[in-house]
Amino acid sequence: MRRSLLFVAALLLVLVAGCGGSGSGSSNGGRVNIVLWHGYVDIEGRALADEAKRFNATHSKIHVTVQNYGNADYALQKVLTAIRGGSYPDIVYLYGSWAANMARTPKAVDVAPLIKSDPSINWNDFWPAERQAVTVGDKIVGVPALVDNLALVYNKKLFDQAGMSYPTADWTWDDFRAAAKRLTDPSTKQFGWAYVNDASEDTVWRFDALLWQAGGDILTPDQKHAAFNSPAGVAAATLLQQMATVDHSVYLDNGNGNYANLFNSGKIAMLFTGPWDLSGFPDVDYGIQILPGNQNHQTISGPDQWVMLDNGDARRNAAWTFLKWFTSPTEAMQWSLATGDLPIRASQIQTPTYPKYTAKYKGIATFVDNEQNALKARPVLPTYNEISQAMGQAIQAILLGKAQPQQALDQAAQEVDQILAQGS
Amino acid sequence: MIQRALGSDHLAGWLFVLPAVVLIGVFGILPIGWALLLSFQHNDLLTAPTWVGVDNYRTLVHDPVFRDSIRRTLVYTALFVPLSVGGAMGVALLLHRPIRFSRFYRTAVFVPVATSTVATGIIFNWLLEPTYGIVNFLLDKVGLGPYGFFQDPDQALYAIVAMTVWGWLGFDVIIYLAALQGIPEDLMEAAQLDGAGRWATFRHVVWPLLSPATLFLIVWSTINALQVFDEIYVTTRGGPLRATTVLVYYLYNQAFELFHAGYAAAAAEVLFLITLVFSVVQLWLGSRRVHYSS
Amino acid sequence: MRTWPFSPRHVVLIPLSALMLLPLVWMLVTSIETLAESRHFPPTLVPSGIHWQNYPDALAAAPFGRFFTNSLIVTLASVAGNLLLCSLAGYAFARLRFFGRDVTFIALLATLMVPFQVTMIPTFLIVQHLGLVNTLGALIAPNLVTPFGIFLLRQFFRTLPVELEEAARIDGCSRLGVLFRVVLPLSMPALATLAIVTFLWTWNDFLWPLIAISSTDKMTVQLGLASFQGAHQTNWTLLMAGNVMALAPMLLVFVVAQRWFVQSLASTGVKG
Repeated sequence: MRRSLLFVAALLLVLVAGCGGSGSGSSNGGRVNIVLWHGYVDIEGRALADEAKRFNATHSKIHVTVQNYGNADYALQKVLTAIRGGSYPDIVYLYGSWAANMARTPKAVDVAPLIKSDPSINWNDFWPAERQAVTVGDKIVGVPALVDNLALVYNKKLFDQAGMSYPTADWTWDDFRAAAKRLTDPSTKQFGWAYVNDASEDTVWRFDALLWQAGGDILTPDQKHAAFNSPAGVAAATLLQQMATVDHSVYLDNGNGNYANLFNSGKIAMLFTGPWDLSGFPDVDYGIQILPGNQNHQTISGPDQWVMLDNGDARRNAAWTFLKWFTSPTEAMQWSLATGDLPIRASQIQTPTYPKYTAKYKGIATFVDNEQNALKARPVLPTYNEISQAMGQAIQAILLGKAQPQQALDQAAQEVDQILAQGS
Repeated sequence: MIQRALGSDHLAGWLFVLPAVVLIGVFGILPIGWALLLSFQHNDLLTAPTWVGVDNYRTLVHDPVFRDSIRRTLVYTALFVPLSVGGAMGVALLLHRPIRFSRFYRTAVFVPVATSTVATGIIFNWLLEPTYGIVNFLLDKVGLGPYGFFQDPDQALYAIVAMTVWGWLGFDVIIYLAALQGIPEDLMEAAQLDGAGRWATFRHVVWPLLSPATLFLIVWSTINALQVFDEIYVTTRGGPLRATTVLVYYLYNQAFELFHAGYAAAAAEVLFLITLVFSVVQLWLGSRRVHYSS
Repeated sequence: MRTWPFSPRHVVLIPLSALMLLPLVWMLVTSIETLAESRHFPPTLVPSGIHWQNYPDALAAAPFGRFFTNSLIVTLASVAGNLLLCSLAGYAFARLRFFGRDVTFIALLATLMVPFQVTMIPTFLIVQHLGLVNTLGALIAPNLVTPFGIFLLRQFFRTLPVELEEAARIDGCSRLGVLFRVVLPLSMPALATLAIVTFLWTWNDFLWPLIAISSTDKMTVQLGLASFQGAHQTNWTLLMAGNVMALAPMLLVFVVAQRWFVQSLASTGVKG
């Protein structure tokens, strides 16, 4: 009698799961199928496929299928549509800036209880910036997937040609500004520095690092008002303004990434950028240094996450098992070695693979150490994208010389106060 | 017999259009109805929506960024339509009469239309780059510039006009070539036998006979111009300083970057009304001026 | 009318063609560069050698064969559907008088006036209800007929002399027969135009397949190409190789269909 009931239950389970349509896994006969959506290509795409294969080979009860959803820029649209349509994956790679929005959908799994009941994930081993990025109030909306930070990447040859010594860890803003000016030569169309000026988050987050160094904050502690128009903010904005409109030492990139090609062609001397750009500089003998700063050398980190979506208990548990495995120190270090991504856990530095990693990727150790300078994080709010847009417009106007720092920041602060008051 | 013929025209007419009406009804009209409902909600597509009546519309009216985006869209349209349709007519006339290499020229003119927006964006970014681009380089040789193009808030929209006219001209040319193909050769000969010069032949024979195609292209180009998005997305992203934030860009930003889908739907309805008014007026004016078959 | 060996029109057409072809040239050049060369700015117009390897690499990076097949199926189906259904509807709107004709025409046209960004989610939900998600049917069904095509053909049909059709009717031809035997043969340029344009749009469509398709084996060429456009690491040489390959069928179709643009006096039947 019990056996036939079980049989019927299994049959029903198959039918129900089978009706999931596309993008869905299933649970049948003991083995759980889960689906993972990602945007990796080339080396990373192959590395991910390898990892999945290894996992499947060593975990007979779970089968993970990885699917490329195209460009990660469109990931949110795809996920939203999939959720609305009722058929969505179990794990999906999303940008960190979408954490607060994903936290609002009931389909996103709150990982906090899972962490509490399963300490083997060793949550505090992840860098502080990553943990902050996925924490929305009481919820934890994802598992860290990627971490990076901004450092100073410079062209050694251009420094040599100008007879200048390389940037040191003690560089101040004045040192930086003076160096950029000396390295700018209109006759050869060479610039000392480059800045992404498309008014997007790319424009804002470099400013954030300078703002924090100067002791400022983006919002007040209660997150009810803007705080970036403080003297610290004005100081940071003035540095940008002076370099762009007075020294003319800054190449303003309009968001299409040409700055990377220009740096590679020896037309730009210094960049504030992260590890992801390094493979685009095959022709440059580059050096890496921490960001210049007056009292401190704080930087900013841009973590991305794996968000788990709820497709029922069995699949959720399977997804959790996979993520624990994938982000474990040994596996994560394998991933870093294959792709060049920074370690997502502090303990990865102690693994035997770590020296191989630093040997393979020139200068990467500076980035890893720099993660310790990522002390503050951007606010994790559903309205963050609007805040970012207001700030981006202000910084763009300042860099183009169309507005004065205090005035532009004040106006943006007003907009942000309104945004915060309305909630979302 | 005439009565019967007229009577069954109704049945035949509806049978002929039925498949199209059903398909467009399901895939066109239904989604638009849903979008209309959406415009009466606060909806971020992730959580449960709330009904807010005409609140979104009221906010739109007071939104300076929205009003500016309408203005920019109209400016863009007022430039794009005459340039692309007029230019295309000129090019089509050049290509219509037998000429060597006509096949090559026609293919060349068509290439921009077939090129993906991504590739177009990349190449125009390169051409119009203020410091390193080839256009400023050439202009400098004749003592002009340098211009900011995509990086200058006062020039960006016009640069977009140039880029999109370049991208769409070939499409209009094809339509005109097909239309010119339908002008009977003996009409042209008759006009010339009567002593009409080239300009007069054009004005009194070609232009009127091209008018159905012209009407089509004006209506079609207007609808498209009012919805321009892709080219802006791959180049200026609505900037600098919002100079190229046209209506659909604003709408996209609201829906998919700020999660105000209901608000975006309301903006879309406003766009729909504007487009509808334009099209109806154009078609009505056209019905009086357009010359159909002899 | 004689054709001069060097018509003054060439003076305009040559620079115009050069301007139009510039991107294709750049795409071709980039597609045969090495990755390092492509990362130069200003771009190198004359690469050091021909790096054909990019093409097999692009084909290997993703199942482009599969993508091409999918794109081809979807596109050909859309073209066939449009040619048939737009002819039927366009003819009815052009020549037949039936109740509600003009209102229906405006209503169909009106569906073009709401931007796709707004309607794509409800369209997805509808497609999902029909059980078509992640199938090629999802890509074909919404594109089987477009108001653009109906409008285009309506305009063209109205330029034809109505006497021919009346003559055929008097001879006892049904309306359908008139359409297929009299009107369509005279409308080859318009039909060719519609075919080219439908092919082009369906082939280049990106946003809708992005939403409707989630497994690699159903992806179209444009979706596959989009995978190369990562946020920070644009592999331009592969991207351009892929783009060139994607562009090739389009140009082929156009060059072949061009025949219909050559003036043909033969069977118009409109003399005098």
